[in-house]
This record gives sequence, C-alpha cells and structure tokens, in this order.
Amino acid sequence: MADRSGQSVTDTIGQGVTIDRSGETGAFGGEILTVNFGPHHPSTHGVLRLIVDLDGEQVRSLKPVIGYLHTGIEKQMEALRWQQGVVVTDRHDYLSPPINNLAYALAVERLLGVEVPPRAQALRVIMSELTRLSSHLVWMGTSGLELGAMSMLMYCFRERDTIMDMNEEISGFRMHTSYIRPGGVFADATPRFLEMLDHFVNTMPSNIDEYEALLTNNPIWRSRTIGVGRLSADDAKVLGATGPMLRGSGVAWDLRKAIPYTGYESYDFEIATSDMCDCYGRYLVRIKEMREAVKILRQALDRLPDGPVNIDDRKVLPPPREELETSMEAVIHHFKLFTEGYSVPPGDVYVAVESGRGENGCYIVSDGTHKPRRVKFRSASFVNLQALERMALNHMVADMIAIIGTADAVLGDCDR
Amino acid sequence: MIPETLIVERGVSAGDQWVTVGAADVHDALAAANEGGYRLLVFLSCVDHLADSSRKWPARYEVIYQLRNMDTLEQLRVRAFVDGDPPRIDSVSDLFPPANWDERETYDLFGVVFNGHPELTRILMPDDWVGHPLRRDYPVGGEVVEFSEEHEAWQTAPDKA
Repeated sequence: MADRSGQSVTDTIGQGVTIDRSGETGAFGGEILTVNFGPHHPSTHGVLRLIVDLDGEQVRSLKPVIGYLHTGIEKQMEALRWQQGVVVTDRHDYLSPPINNLAYALAVERLLGVEVPPRAQALRVIMSELTRLSSHLVWMGTSGLELGAMSMLMYCFRERDTIMDMNEEISGFRMHTSYIRPGGVFADATPRFLEMLDHFVNTMPSNIDEYEALLTNNPIWRSRTIGVGRLSADDAKVLGATGPMLRGSGVAWDLRKAIPYTGYESYDFEIATSDMCDCYGRYLVRIKEMREAVKILRQALDRLPDGPVNIDDRKVLPPPREELETSMEAVIHHFKLFTEGYSVPPGDVYVAVESGRGENGCYIVSDGTHKPRRVKFRSASFVNLQALERMALNHMVADMIAIIGTADAVLGDCDR
Repeated sequence: MIPETLIVERGVSAGDQWVTVGAADVHDALAAANEGGYRLLVFLSCVDHLADSSRKWPARYEVIYQLRNMDTLEQLRVRAFVDGDPPRIDSVSDLFPPANWDERETYDLFGVVFNGHPELTRILMPDDWVGHPLRRDYPVGGEVVEFSEEHEAWQTAPDKA
C-alpha cells in the first residue's frame, strides 16, 4: 500500500518536539500556521490536545499534550488497602474496567503466591472478552461517527448495551464492575447471566456481519482509511506500540498467546493481524478480534468448570455470610479484614494483560504492609499516542482525525 | 546482554528476573541489553523508598526499567538506585523512543532529572505545579488552598505522607 504522504517513514523518530514555525513559508507559498487542536474537541476522544503546525491543510508537525485527565490514581492506590485498590483500577481505562481489575488482581496474587480456582479463571476470561468486545464497539461507533458513517454508533451501542446489561447482572454495576478481585471474583455467574451470554454469543456473529456490511466495502470508509496513517512494522516495534496498532502493522504479537495468563493457553483462537499498516488495517484487526472474542466466549461457556469462584483463604477474602452467625473465628477474620486488611509479602512484580488497546500492565511494589508501596499502571494509550506524530505527518487535517480515531487512545488510561 | 562487570546484584522477585546496575552505568547497561535483543522498553518508572524498613535500600529512589525480548519472550527488570536533590540519572530515550514520555512522567511525578533528555518538561501535571506528587512525602489530597492559613504548611509538610 502506497504511503499517501510520499515520504520515507524510517528516518528519525519524532521526539515530540515541536519548533514553532509560524511565519515560515510553506511548500505551497502560504505561511506555516501553528494551530491548537483540543482539548475540548469531540473528535479527540476525550481531552487530547494537539499542537499542530499546518502548511495549508497539511500537517507538518504534531505534538500531543496530555494530562488533562490526570486523576492521581497511582497516588490514591498508595493510600488504599490492597482490597480497596480494585475500585480505583476500574477507573483509569474506563472502557475496559474488568481487564484493569485483572492486571491488578493477577499482580497481587503473584505476590501472595496464590492461584484462583478454574471456574474463577473461566469467568475472568469471559469478562475480559466481553470487555474487549464492548471496547472495540465503542471504538467502531465513535470512529464511524467521525468519518461519516453516522449509523455505526447506533448499531455498536445496541450491542454494547447488551454487554452492559450482562455486567449489571453479574456484578451489579454497568460500567465500573470491580468484578475481578485479588483471590477470585466478586460472585458466581447467575443462571440468568449464562442465559444472556449464550444468547449474546449466538447473535453476535451476525451483528459483526452487519457492521462489516456497513463499513468493509463502503467506498467512503475505504477512501478515508486506506493509505492513511501508515505505520510500518519496524516503526511500530521501535515506538513500543502494542495491541491493534502493532497487529495492524503485521506483527503477530498478542500477550494472550505470547505470555498466557488466567488460562488463555487452553483456548483456541487466532491472533488477528493485517499487513495493510494503515487505518483500514487497524479496522480489520479489530473486526477479526471481535470474531475471535466471540469464539473464546463460546468455548468458555461450553466448558465452564464447576466449583468455587474464590480461593479458600480467610486472610484474603471474607468468610461466607452464613458462617458469621455460627463461628467466632469467622467473625474475627471478618473484622480483621475490614478494619486492617491483609498484608502482602515484600517484593515487586509486573503483570501484563492484553486489553482492547494493547498491553495493560500493572507493576506493584509491596513493603509488607497492608497498603501497596507503589502501583504503576503501564497503559497502552500512553505509549501508542507517541506514534501519533509518525502516523499523521504530511497528512491532511481531516486524515488526522481518522488517525487519532484508529489509535484508540483512552485519555483516562493515558493520564491515569 | 548486560556485561557482568556492570551488574551489582541479581535476583528473582515473584518470578520476575531483575538485575541492579550502578546509576552511572544505566545507559551502558541498557545499550548492551538493547543490542542483546531486549528491544522493547515496556515501561520505565521510579519507586520512592522513603521510610521503608522492610528491606535495606541503598538509596531513596529506585529507577526501574522493564525490558522484553519479543522473540525469546524473556523479560528483565533493570534497577538503579539514585539519591540527591534532585536525583539525576542518564536518559535512555535515545536507545528506546518510548522512554521519552516515561522519563517526562517520572520527572514530573518524582522529580528525577534525566540527563540528556531532549525535552524534560512536566507531562501530566500543569507546567506551574510545585512539587512532585508521587514522592512519599507529598501528602495525598494536599491541594493548595489560596488564602488559607495552611497554604505554606501544605507545600512544605514532610510529615503528611
């Protein structure tokens, strides 16, 4: 696929440094203008601000400015007990709360040296894949909206609402579920949830066909995305891009396959890749990933193991309600857990999971007390946004919107 | 791979391999690791060990580099301890482009100065912010309230961590 900008994309990597070139003469005889774009602009997916040097309508340099959604999540985590931190992890990448929970829970469990029962692992896989679907649906709906396929939003949010209903059924919350916790999950799946999931898995493939019918061969969509925002495989690797950004450049890298966690090695699915290296390629990757997610959901549902959904450790998880009425020991454990919490052995650990955006990692340092010493979230959006200048250089302003869209950055995730 | 002469200590924490290198050798060590196949810097960050009595720490700040070899799937954590006010360490953004923003973030939140960084400015906090919020002596909820009697106290209180 030809690079529309006609420029080599392998020379020096943009360091994000912008020189104000206002007043200089551009290639078309006009002045180079430095324009501020955002942070309050609907097409920036939140509060991304860009400082763009424009030569006519062409982007000559682009500098993302972030931090408008910085909420000090890492600082807050240090002031909360281990089990309280789960609630905060929901809120950084607000389009994929269960996957954030999972990264945190796996890290705490690695430090504690425990492993959750098979049923909890399967439920974690189910929630992760539902989240991946809902995250990709939001991406497709909003990107379609920006690039002229207005009806996409209606179709995508229809299925997203079904997923929200399932979240509500299993955890009581529609968005910030806090479902996956260190030691297991909040509660077992209800029969109604399994029914809803079965219906969803049966109907979703035809829904994805519907999205494809609207976009894949749509001439407007194709002309807005093919050849736009090229990112070669080498550039993507050097810039540290992960997720659909990397797979859209033809690199078959998926943490679920490469470094499997929570039982992903036992599921049969393919890594979605595309060699197009452009916005259209990233779109194809996400469509394929949605189909694969449905495949994983079907397998997880068909062989959902029986058994407990939490580890049997009274020091980490509260005792069942009925025990409190008969056992003094249970009352003591309950009291200790909700006043002091539990402590985690000293050490540090890094766990990475694959979210809809790429590598969502959690690095935890414990000093042996009941609160973490340091929690660091490695967010995919933060790293992927650094590739924005590389992709948007010498494109039109309108193409920049497509490029920001397919980078799929969640600014809450980026700024944390 | 990182030459043995640069490695101060090595170990395994909860299954993760790590090595400690001297703060002055970080750039050399990471250049060697990059040559040796660890091409991806997963993240770079810092830990503040102020008043942590669980272990003996050589210095207050620990700068962490998580590396990954995407072919062999090996992972390695490089740790370097720095002290000083401000703590200083060499930038690795010339070796790993993603380190650019990570180093800006670490400067912003911990006040670690990265020598040789092309544009070391705040990234998450406003440009005129005072202090580095992720330091352990920076109070949670320590928001400066203008015209308050505590205005001065909030800015300097080390005991509110």
